[in-house]
Amino acid sequence: MLRSDQILSTVEMIQKENLDVRTVTMGINLLDCHAETVAKTCANIEEKIHTFAGNFVPTCNEMGERYGIPVVNKRISVTPIAFVGAGFERDGFVEIAKALDRAATSVGVDILGGFSAQVEKGMTQTDHEFIASIPDALAQTEKICASINIATTKKGINMDALAMMGHTIKAIAEKTADNNGFGAAKFVVFCNQPGDNPFMAGAIHGLEESEAVLNVGVSGPGVIARALDRLIAAHPEPGALQFDELAEEIKQTTFRVTRCGELIGRAVSMSLGIEFGVVDLSLAPTPAIGDSVGEIFKILGVDAIGAPGSTAILAMLNDAVKKGGIFASKTVGGLSGAFIPVMEDSLLAEAVGDGSLCLEKLEAMTCVCSVGLDMVAIPGSVDADTISAIIADEMAIGVINAKTTAARLIPVPGKEVGDSVSFGGLFGAAPIMPIRNIGKSSRFIAWGGRMPAPIHSFKN
Amino acid sequence: MKTKMVISVMSKDRPGIIADVTGALLQLEGDVADLNQTVLCGYLTMILGVTFPSGITREDIFASISHVKSGEKFEISVKELPETENFNEIPQPEESYILSLQGPNCKGIVHAVSSICGRNNVNIIDLGTSLQQDRYTMAVQCSIKEATCTLEELRKEFEEYGRDANQTIMMQHYDLFRATNEVTLH
Repeated sequence: MLRSDQILSTVEMIQKENLDVRTVTMGINLLDCHAETVAKTCANIEEKIHTFAGNFVPTCNEMGERYGIPVVNKRISVTPIAFVGAGFERDGFVEIAKALDRAATSVGVDILGGFSAQVEKGMTQTDHEFIASIPDALAQTEKICASINIATTKKGINMDALAMMGHTIKAIAEKTADNNGFGAAKFVVFCNQPGDNPFMAGAIHGLEESEAVLNVGVSGPGVIARALDRLIAAHPEPGALQFDELAEEIKQTTFRVTRCGELIGRAVSMSLGIEFGVVDLSLAPTPAIGDSVGEIFKILGVDAIGAPGSTAILAMLNDAVKKGGIFASKTVGGLSGAFIPVMEDSLLAEAVGDGSLCLEKLEAMTCVCSVGLDMVAIPGSVDADTISAIIADEMAIGVINAKTTAARLIPVPGKEVGDSVSFGGLFGAAPIMPIRNIGKSSRFIAWGGRMPAPIHSFKN
Repeated sequence: MKTKMVISVMSKDRPGIIADVTGALLQLEGDVADLNQTVLCGYLTMILGVTFPSGITREDIFASISHVKSGEKFEISVKELPETENFNEIPQPEESYILSLQGPNCKGIVHAVSSICGRNNVNIIDLGTSLQQDRYTMAVQCSIKEATCTLEELRKEFEEYGRDANQTIMMQHYDLFRATNEVTLH
């Protein structure tokens, strides 16, 4: 029998800290669904998703009940659709998005990712058609998420694709203007996009993956925040705790959290007969009170998120999470770091509102965590080239530092600094982030071509 | 043919009891297959599974342990296992759960929880309690393999009791506790 203190520490995590499994995401390869016609391809896609994921949601719920830990989100990721629909035109890709949406609704998953292309070096005619289809695809579907990988450490940045991204994001926001540009919240631009990330909106089932696989996203930052609260409350006298002890607490808590994810993910995997992929250690906040990465900044000693010290705190948090999680799981993958999605984290959103967190500081913080400038609502009037240039800076951080970075920017139509936007649910709410130096990067974006891959020596 | 005995011994706790008792059993050529002991309120109790050469009787074991010099007389109980049962063939139940309870101390908690278990044919495998500053904690490992109700119904019944008795009760799969507390990934 385990000792009662061990039992109680786990019970506290479940009971007081809202421990859950944030997502189980089933990756499905759709390459063999390609047919001569769009209609047949769509039918094949729907049939394959039904075959693999028909029992997915009930099984996740059953395992959640069995172990007493809920699986909050059940999702699907698919092979980047630009590959699946090779040779099709823009309208065909919109039809495929609708077929994916129908399949996702039919099997009961929350969301489906993989309406994607990988164009880090160059673009085919299909890629052009695919990218052109994204605004309509996102405007005409509910559960579909899109992403484009435009940069890698080995290939550099595709500057032509980069230039298209600003226009694409603006078009998505305008097509979904009646919902404050919500479509843009389902579109991410990546550098070094992983093929086994279970988190949305950037989940894809990479070409390197097997037929079908289950990837798990662990519980959120609330568990870490409560563990730190408890540790600090137990040592109230000044000087009783040092920074390394806080890091150790994060590490140990992450170990336990990761083990829960691994246990339930493998149980679902065994029950469905689908290969277990990875545990993604990312701390993904939600707008719910007490589930904020921003709160951890404050617990760890800065009175305002974005104040000097914030980047260092985030670096420690990100590192401690990895150290605890990697030992806990047989296979770790995906993004595996702390997310700082502004709209999805109530305290980060608040920091934008009170001016303590600006875009430049947010960008600096993305150097030491995953995943990038995430869920940032910006004025709808910001021009496409400025948006592309913001993305370029984020991509460069990823390229040079050999890490995943991404940008999910939402130019909210008709809104300016001083306004707020709310999408509700997991997508959250935030004030509009001020953007400085608007309209001053067009000559840079106009170059096109490629930013060459960086040298991997002389690291300074 | 060997004889398999389950022996329980209780005594006022002091250093050397386990050495003395197992020494007495060794004199009878007993081979200790399993042993579990705990100390509560200054009293030690242990339960042993021991294999003896054929011919050793319960009376021999009583006599041998009773000869151990101790400040207080041992309370001894001995049961012989049927030939068909083995000490090392008692696997961990497949559907093993941990029931944890926390709340203010009051009379009848153990009885109430164990009654719910008993009523639903849920077998208690291990149970431990502690009391700190009037805060009562209980951890129960139980098997629901033969339960006459569903897990959901059982959880509901415990929840209702917890609400009435002002106790927080949770029931989670045993594997979850192993996963979060043991280094080895099972």
